[in-house]
Amino acid sequence: MVDDNTLQVKVSLDNEFGLHARPAAILAKEAQKFSSDIRLSHDGKEVDAKSILDILTLAATHGSALCIKASGEDAPEAVRRIKELISRRFEVRG
Amino acid sequence: MSKTVLQGIPVSAGIAIGKTYFLNRGSSTSTIRMNIDDEHVHQETARLKQAFSLALADLEKIRKKIPKELKEQTAIIDSHIMILKDKKFQNSARDYVREKMINAEWALEKAESDIESAFIKIEDEYIRERVQDVRLVANRVKSQLYGQPADIRSLTQRMILLAADLSPADTIELQLDKIMAFATISGGKTSHAGIIARSLQIPAIVGVEDLSELQDGHLVILDGFNGRIIVDPDEDDLDHYSQLRYQFAEYQSLVNRDCYLPAETIDGYKVKVFANIELFEEVAAVIDNGGEGIGLYRTEYSFLNRETLPVEDELFEEYRDLASIIFPNRVVIRTLDLGADKIATQFGPVREINPALGLRAVRFCRKHPELFKTQLRAILRASVLGNVSIMFPMISGVEELLEIKKIFYSVRNELKTKRVDFDPVMPMGIMIELPSAVLISDLLAREVDFFSIGTNDLIQYSLGIDRTNKHVSYLYQPLHPSILRSIKYVIDAGHEAGIEVSLCGEVAADPYCVPILMGMQIDSISLNPQAIPGIKRIIRQATMDEFKELLKRVLESEDVQESNRLVREMIFTRFPEELMFYTSLIEE
Repeated sequence: MVDDNTLQVKVSLDNEFGLHARPAAILAKEAQKFSSDIRLSHDGKEVDAKSILDILTLAATHGSALCIKASGEDAPEAVRRIKELISRRFEVRG
Repeated sequence: MSKTVLQGIPVSAGIAIGKTYFLNRGSSTSTIRMNIDDEHVHQETARLKQAFSLALADLEKIRKKIPKELKEQTAIIDSHIMILKDKKFQNSARDYVREKMINAEWALEKAESDIESAFIKIEDEYIRERVQDVRLVANRVKSQLYGQPADIRSLTQRMILLAADLSPADTIELQLDKIMAFATISGGKTSHAGIIARSLQIPAIVGVEDLSELQDGHLVILDGFNGRIIVDPDEDDLDHYSQLRYQFAEYQSLVNRDCYLPAETIDGYKVKVFANIELFEEVAAVIDNGGEGIGLYRTEYSFLNRETLPVEDELFEEYRDLASIIFPNRVVIRTLDLGADKIATQFGPVREINPALGLRAVRFCRKHPELFKTQLRAILRASVLGNVSIMFPMISGVEELLEIKKIFYSVRNELKTKRVDFDPVMPMGIMIELPSAVLISDLLAREVDFFSIGTNDLIQYSLGIDRTNKHVSYLYQPLHPSILRSIKYVIDAGHEAGIEVSLCGEVAADPYCVPILMGMQIDSISLNPQAIPGIKRIIRQATMDEFKELLKRVLESEDVQESNRLVREMIFTRFPEELMFYTSLIEE
């Protein structure tokens, strides 16, 4: 999966209950805005960031280290936005 | 495949020989696996896709209705929308259809259980519990899937319909010209599907457990006399059953010839024979079968299967048409018996642990007084245009009856003020279908003009069994001493007070039970129109003395088996030809 064009960044998950339903929904929704292939990995498991079910089964709890990977045209923007979302603890602006 | 025989409970007499078709819907509790062939793969994936998009549209509609302050609720709905839109879920279900060649329902079930097993492994309890959201979403898709009308219209030949279950709402949509018989997995002797089948005069069997293994397009013989489905029959079976089908048709034409004669015993005792109907269209069957009026008009159907409630004029026109077409004969209009298995969706989902003991009939009407009053106005307005009586169901006590009468009189006064015509002496009656009403029938008799004993519910409530539950349906015994004593008590109490007593349950159409009712001197019986000719024939061929003698012996017997034996003996010796073609509530 990881090729030369793949961007990769690590973040730590600080929100209270980890990636539960609401954050997972917000994250998947954000990921779906990009054409790039976006993957999330945690604890040796890698899933599709555009699928809420995948994100949930990743079972990333509070304090987990997450890795965001993206490959495609808008990969830099995608990684930046998702990283921001996670560090903002999924508080949606506006 | 070689010949196999599936056994169920016969609920409507007759023989059908034809190919099977499984109706793609049923109760959400029993999903059925069906293997499909190449040409149906596209149809099933399309159904799946449509179910997902309908469920999505539904959720988006719900989301719009949530007030802005409720952020939590919005977040939950949002996550459900995301689950619904999740390509993983949808594609996995679709792939199951394509790869395993199975129906959409089963594929969805498989996809859901795959997701569930992924969740079960999650250690974090909070996230693991999100599986509930997955289930909720899957249920939404399921209900869309089950709710989609199966495409019966696309059938090119008449089929034998198979289904997990047929609810009262489903059965309305059955198109008779495409269905020669039906069989269901759930249901018992007196479930609604049977009532419908008998009124449509098509053979039917319920409670056939192995039905789901039967695939579409099998040649079967459906034996509605004995509750058997013969799958892939041999030549001998086909010969035998074709002949039986012919004999039954002969018998029917024989009894139909005399159906206009009164139900009068040889020694001159007359009983009125009315019909139970629920659709206006059935009036023709009442007249064709020699019904002397309508003893029970069920009014629920104008309220089911629609988004909005019927308005007063619509109900008025329905009752007016019915009253005038059956005039000068009588029509007894029973007020709404919604609740239990008949739910009007306009009131939103009602969750009751025990709906049969819950908000139904007059209890439901008291909770929704405007709805009730609308119906009362419509009935009162129609009362001047025919021979109309009104009847209230599920009365449990005197106070309740008085409360209902109060509402009735307030509607009358309202009409009087508006100078709207109504019949001030329209007969008013109640159903006696609860054990409590039986025991105080002497008190209730002072308040009304007639009783109608509803044995279907009375048996269910007296013996404490759910009549649609096949595990206990063997306990459904019309000749149980408690039931016979109850019926007799009500008839005697009614006669003591000088009012008419009728009986409108399935018992009235049962050749084994009618002689007993006759012996108790019931004034009238009301039954499905198709059974009228046969029942009249039995009454016309016997004497009141015979009936009374039988009743005396049955009342002396201490158990059901003995009672059953006594009536069977009488029918055997006196009306052997009836035996061949009738299904009875009495166990063999």
